[in-house]
Amino acid sequence: MSPLTRLLAPKTVVRAHCDLPCGVYDPEQARIEAESVYRVIQRYAASEDPTFRTRAIAIKERQADLVKHHLDVLWHDYFKPEHLETVPNLHELFWSATKQVSTVKASTSLDDAKKLLDLIDEVDAAWKATGGPAKTRVAGRPG
Amino acid sequence: MTGSRRFRGVARPGGLRGRLAGPWRVAVADGSMRPAIEPGDWLLVDPTTARWPRRGSVVVFREPGSDVLAIKRVAARPGDWIRFADGRLQMSGDEAWLLSDASDAALEVAGFGPAVDSRRYGPVPVAALVGRAWFRYWPGRSIGRLPRGPRSDVLAG
Repeated sequence: MSPLTRLLAPKTVVRAHCDLPCGVYDPEQARIEAESVYRVIQRYAASEDPTFRTRAIAIKERQADLVKHHLDVLWHDYFKPEHLETVPNLHELFWSATKQVSTVKASTSLDDAKKLLDLIDEVDAAWKATGGPAKTRVAGRPG
Repeated sequence: MTGSRRFRGVARPGGLRGRLAGPWRVAVADGSMRPAIEPGDWLLVDPTTARWPRRGSVVVFREPGSDVLAIKRVAARPGDWIRFADGRLQMSGDEAWLLSDASDAALEVAGFGPAVDSRRYGPVPVAALVGRAWFRYWPGRSIGRLPRGPRSDVLAG
């Protein structure tokens, strides 16, 4: 701050008060649901029981929806326009990741589910690169 | 008969000397006054204001309950009627209804939570009034008088 700016700066802060959203974000949430998708595909492939296989498909759909939801929340609420400087491919990354969820919903291929996990890891790297652990977790990420 | 004219004489306690202490300049935090006032704006305040100013004026005041210095727009003056909770509510002779400019929907889009104003803590007494914000002197691109807003929830008649 220049001396002139310091001279001009007000000493009093007034609040145009609004509630804070909770502000807790972590791609780990999406990752855990995506791991459920991966596991359930494995178990689907290993089973011959038609009832189990039907249930597995239903569970995969449900968990995949949760992945999409958690990715959307990160994209819309955590990431801000200024983060594009650190992560220039941010929008493309979320576009690919959410598209990959749709692919996984329509597929029973482990490769598709693995590709989704990899994309979530890229989101995780973007979250870390923009200071996510310190800014959005109460005491950084545990562990 | 309940018009604001009747209440012009209600003065803020503290005396002129206390009011001259300021604040004369304030920095704004939070986004509930967007788009007219952005977080980070530096404003000039007239702390000699002793009564609730006109509807649409921007005021600095101590928030009821928390005593935090806050900034909102005067939506209804002493004596005005407003629509509230399926009914009507009349301001008494020394209190005003202060509201945010930004809608809760706009705040949510911008990453803020719902606005905290008279809808949360009710009418604000004139004793809580600190001054009227009237001029923005920073950032340079938006220097100028703060426009009086259209914000008014006063019922006609």
